[in-house]
Amino acid sequence: MKARWQFHWLFLVIVAVVPLAELVLPQGWRIAALLRPIFIMAMLGLGLNILTGFTGILNLGVAAFMAVGAYSYAILTCDIYPFQLGFWSATGLTILVGLTVGLLLGLPTIRLRGDYLAIVTLGFGEIVQDVLKNIDTITKGTQGINPLPAPTFFGYAFRSEVYWPWYYLFLGCLALVVLLNRNLRRSRLGRAWISIREDELAAACMGVNTMQRKLVAFALGAAQCSLAGALWASFLGSTGEPGNYDFQVSIMALCIVIVGGMGNVAGVLLGALVVAGFNSIVLEDLTSFLKAHELISSSNVLTVPGNWKYMLFGLALILMMRFKPEGLLPSRQLKAELHPHEPRNPPSL
Amino acid sequence: MSLLEIQNLTMRFGGLTAVNAVNIGIPEDKIVSLIGPNGAGKTTVFNAVTGIYDPAAGHIRFNEREVRRPFTKTTAAALAFVALVSAIGFAFAANIEPLWQTAITAHYRYLQPFAWTEAIMAVFAYFGDEFGLRFVVPSAIGALLGGGGAFIVWQRSRRAPEVAARAGIARTFQNIRLFSQMTVLDNVLLGMDTQLRSGFRHAALRLPSFWREQMEATRKALEILRFVGLEQEVNQLAENLAYGHQRRLEIARGLAMQPKLLLLDEPAAGMNPAEVSSLMQLIRKIRERGVTVFLIEHHMQVVMGISDHIAVLDHGEKIAEGTSTEVRRDPKVIEAYLGKSHEDVAPT
Repeated sequence: MKARWQFHWLFLVIVAVVPLAELVLPQGWRIAALLRPIFIMAMLGLGLNILTGFTGILNLGVAAFMAVGAYSYAILTCDIYPFQLGFWSATGLTILVGLTVGLLLGLPTIRLRGDYLAIVTLGFGEIVQDVLKNIDTITKGTQGINPLPAPTFFGYAFRSEVYWPWYYLFLGCLALVVLLNRNLRRSRLGRAWISIREDELAAACMGVNTMQRKLVAFALGAAQCSLAGALWASFLGSTGEPGNYDFQVSIMALCIVIVGGMGNVAGVLLGALVVAGFNSIVLEDLTSFLKAHELISSSNVLTVPGNWKYMLFGLALILMMRFKPEGLLPSRQLKAELHPHEPRNPPSL
Repeated sequence: MSLLEIQNLTMRFGGLTAVNAVNIGIPEDKIVSLIGPNGAGKTTVFNAVTGIYDPAAGHIRFNEREVRRPFTKTTAAALAFVALVSAIGFAFAANIEPLWQTAITAHYRYLQPFAWTEAIMAVFAYFGDEFGLRFVVPSAIGALLGGGGAFIVWQRSRRAPEVAARAGIARTFQNIRLFSQMTVLDNVLLGMDTQLRSGFRHAALRLPSFWREQMEATRKALEILRFVGLEQEVNQLAENLAYGHQRRLEIARGLAMQPKLLLLDEPAAGMNPAEVSSLMQLIRKIRERGVTVFLIEHHMQVVMGISDHIAVLDHGEKIAEGTSTEVRRDPKVIEAYLGKSHEDVAPT
């Protein structure tokens, strides 16, 4: 049997050696520290991918799940509250909270179809922000919860000046999420998700409990997004204000899934690299480069590249939909066409 | 005794009665056909049998049991659980800020140890106040919304497609409904879903039992694909198959469910004569596997050639029933298909 290249493992391996390669690179070329937000966005994208890519449920409110994750992590760890759990137990509990919130949103709404469900999730995204702003006895309103203690790993305390422990922490979490998603995708559960996306009625007629499988997708997607939120909050040392988890974050996650390739784990990783990388590396560098050469002035907002990013994301979405709707790295099923007679071992799962 | 018993089935869509008081019995190990002109209500009968439609009246009995989710102790327990959880959840959600204030903020001093027992007592004290109104009102609303909502959802899903499927009724569709972006093998494996046992844990961790089940399922799927003659196309995407092969794949997917009854909705539509005769052979072979076949077909060569029993529908009513020779001679059937002869029509 010929080994098939699996982009997601290649991606993880290459990314794992980037900090080592940086030791020999000149100062201006160092980007590893900037990759950390990309890992978080990739996790968010993978959470959305379970819903939108696998199951075909359009969710426009994943930022709300991220907010739930960030806030529950903050409440569990911050020393202005009595809980003060460690990083690992707080992260574990946050994932459970995310699961529960996903279920709570899913239970009453899962019978809605397509666009209607998308509108509900859009509304949910806005409601969560407003709730977080308004129950300020608990969430400190627009201040956000801070400072959060840095994670510790077997007695080693993370510091914000040293980037590589964070880097490998996020990379490790991302690798686990990738593994989970890949395993689920190629199992009975993943097959049921895809069949629901393809034809829900036919899936139900084959005995698939569509309601339950969609709920599982909701809960797992929400759990992954809340993990991303928890890591993000631990990285910033603060939840930031509720407005940080707004519709634009959800759209960026959607962008990642669509640009990368819906329903493909590797595609989502590539999408995160392209979209979030563009956002946090290219635009930032371009801005500082232009600033250094005095080509832009802060008085004219139109000359700052960062202000163009949402227009560029929108443009990217439109162009992808028009010219390559299956994404940059489409699902591997399309490749099966190329080798129709070659039995796979183990046969396609 | 009939395997499937359709009794007095009536389906209405708004003012239109699509199927009116139809009785059909499908004996075990037979091939039964349902024929009739276009719009007679044949597919509606199929949809009612497979739980896609909820009939306005009548019974559908399969293996002497109504095709409907039964109300069991588990159902009652689940409903009660949902009601309880939503009652408590609502009570806490409605009082979240004052609760937090009395239980947490009031008892916590920065970096001092926290008195958990006192905090919990404060929660009880808070709810115990004012005759428990703070608890009773929101929890009553929560129980009503949660329990009532869950009950309505359960009630509406009593007659669902997956209930019929799990009882052992498989079907194909008139306009092919394959999972077009999935491979042929995956389509068949999905048909086996009800027989697979591996859950989230097995899949996520890839336990040995997951692999064992996967291999076993694949072996069975390949056997079924060989049975319908698609062993050459295992890794093709379903949408890339030739039309006749797509029809066969739908049958294979249905057979993968290991059903007792297979409903075929116009399996020969759009097939050439050679394909039709091999399809007839396939249907006979399916019966030999011990699967009862109930089919809708317009292709009279197929219907007359393989049916043990034929029922004829017209305008939602059953007008005739019997063996092929009986049905062929029935004047009502001839009238339904060809119209009345000129002399018989009374002048208006």
